[in-house]
Amino acid sequence: MLTGRSLLRSDDLSVEEIGLVLKNADLFMEVLERKVKKVPTLRGKTIANIFFEPSTRTRTSFELAAKRLSADVVNFAASTSSLKKGESIIDTIDTIISLKVNLLVIRHGHSGVLNFIAKHIKVPIINAGDGKNQHPTQALLDAYTIKKKFGTFSGLKVAIVGDFLNSRVARSNVELFSRVGMEVMIVAPPMLLPSDYTVLGVPVKTAIDQVIDHVDVVYMLRMQFERQKRKLYPSIEEYNRFLTLNSARLQKMKKGSVVLHPGPVNRGIEISEEVMDGAAAGNRILIPDQVTHGVAIRMALLYLILSQQEEA
Amino acid sequence: MKKRLGTNRIYIENATIIDPYSHNQFASSILIEDGFIKKMGKQIETQPHMTHIDAKDYVVSPGFVDMHAHLRDPGEEQKEDIESGIKAALAGGFVAIACMPNTKPPIDRPALVKYILEQARKNDFTIICIAAMTKNLEGREISEMGLLAECGAKGFSDDGKCVHDARIMYEIMRYAKQFSFLLILHEEDSSFSENGLVHEGYWSNKLGLEPIPALSEELVIARDIMLAQKTGARIHITHVSSKQSVEMIREAKKQGVAITCDTTPHHVFFNHSCLQTFDTNFKVKPPIRGAKDQAALIEGLKDGTIDALATDHAPHLFQEKNTTFASAQFGAIGLETAFQAAYTKLCLKEGMDLGQLLALMTAGPSHILGLDTMAIKEGKKANLALIDTKIEKRVEKKFFSKSINCPFIGQTLASEVVCTINNGKLPYMRECDRY
Repeated sequence: MLTGRSLLRSDDLSVEEIGLVLKNADLFMEVLERKVKKVPTLRGKTIANIFFEPSTRTRTSFELAAKRLSADVVNFAASTSSLKKGESIIDTIDTIISLKVNLLVIRHGHSGVLNFIAKHIKVPIINAGDGKNQHPTQALLDAYTIKKKFGTFSGLKVAIVGDFLNSRVARSNVELFSRVGMEVMIVAPPMLLPSDYTVLGVPVKTAIDQVIDHVDVVYMLRMQFERQKRKLYPSIEEYNRFLTLNSARLQKMKKGSVVLHPGPVNRGIEISEEVMDGAAAGNRILIPDQVTHGVAIRMALLYLILSQQEEA
Repeated sequence: MKKRLGTNRIYIENATIIDPYSHNQFASSILIEDGFIKKMGKQIETQPHMTHIDAKDYVVSPGFVDMHAHLRDPGEEQKEDIESGIKAALAGGFVAIACMPNTKPPIDRPALVKYILEQARKNDFTIICIAAMTKNLEGREISEMGLLAECGAKGFSDDGKCVHDARIMYEIMRYAKQFSFLLILHEEDSSFSENGLVHEGYWSNKLGLEPIPALSEELVIARDIMLAQKTGARIHITHVSSKQSVEMIREAKKQGVAITCDTTPHHVFFNHSCLQTFDTNFKVKPPIRGAKDQAALIEGLKDGTIDALATDHAPHLFQEKNTTFASAQFGAIGLETAFQAAYTKLCLKEGMDLGQLLALMTAGPSHILGLDTMAIKEGKKANLALIDTKIEKRVEKKFFSKSINCPFIGQTLASEVVCTINNGKLPYMRECDRY
């Protein structure tokens, strides 16, 4: 069903296809539990990780996923700034294609760059994050983490908290979470939202206290100071007052509810130091699970896209 | 093979003439000799050795006037130069174009005005030279508007940039008023548009593209209406893009402010849903806005609030557009598709009368720029566009312009410019009619 396809946006996948990816992730989770965490499924396939933007966990996760499926991996890192012109992006991609790779994993700082690249090449592409646009594998691994915890999506209340405006994770997650049946709301002040937030199609609250006691999932977004070209949010103290997950708020959380974060956490901003360190959090904080699930989800995607594919 | 182009005697037979200058619509044949319309009427005695055009299926209009084009000359001749710009204009039915001063260097000194006008003369084409309002387009010091006008500048603009200093804008207006100069204003508050790429709305959010709110334009229009009220200056707001802008200008006109405005065929033809493909040919300034804005522009064109259609022809190199949305340059070429796009959208889809559309591309801009009338009558210079409204064509990546950054590529547009008569000569005729 996904053979030979690209994944550029979360809505490239139907609900049925999302289900298929998650089901396959379960199989690969089992592989990851084994003593020898490797299967020969993609032997002879080559995957290129092309990161125009710095990344540790996403790149490592894709690399590990590919290696555990026995694919060969080439990593290509370049700063977006040294490759300003489209020509050079295309040159770079062409060069890598000439090396006969079977799939590209690309991250780039500009929204829509994959749509641009996809027009030029036939090799499947997985979006590992483009600008403020999309980060579909993050949405899948987050959905998978939630599914593993609750067993279902329907009726779950999810609050996505923080810098929506500058977040590709939020764009993918709101879309995908809503579509699989979760009840999504956003918690953010006006300067971290599009000016007309009715375009989001989900309710918007302004402070974490308005939602903390009745949601099942608190999804903390990274406060993307590096993407905020103009400093529109007043200060960390202000953020702590209205948006940070601290111990007091943690106590108010509903029984069985959980906390997710795409990482890396800015300690003391999205989540307080004490919550990150303390035992008080118990098993609410699922950030380590997200990382593990990320590998399984990416294995599932690579497998589904590449395993049946004819040699180009 | 008989060469048609450039003959000094042209006979256009059985034309349906629509003349917005005289508000007339009538059938006539036209005999052109030595640059002028020699004779008009039903039956004209013809002579051999003249170019004969059977126009029974065509509409004959006065040649089009574009009050906003970037010819990139001097300085960026790899994108366009005056000669290629004129060829593109003629292919679009234009016989006069106003060129904007944001060249490299900008047209802010008399010698450059002379250069532009000399090139126009050499090419036997009317270029209306718009000079910079401020030195080096920096928005800080007023340019030598008096001297520039004496060399032939016909209007002033910092197009591409906006004068942010309200006091400087006020003084520019007072000084322009002294001479009765026309000011063409690009309205953009950069505190709202900096880093921005597209209209702020559903699609900017959906696609994670940095937004440019309509407020960026509206704030400055509001300011300049007030300044024009105070100073009595004659202002023209170019490439108006938002609903509220149209409403403010409509209101200002009612109150007697000396204000006119234009919008572009691409702002009328598209709305921001075109961005879905991340096609960088849709990256323009001001951005292509929402459906309500688009509807307000069409309404403004119909009710006369918007006085002209202007192309904002802005050529860029292929490699400057063949890149990511964030890296691409702002701008689109438009001379060769302006009429077809406007006709397809405004006349066929929105029910605008063809005569009104032609007025927006002829008498409308011509009056604003203070050009002599180009009415179609005996004794006048022959400057005409012949239009075939019955044809439909897909826009291909093939232009007379040196650049190909056209947002209409791939669109099927109705109508076509059959030929353009410029100063009595026939420098452009579409391929299928050449023989």
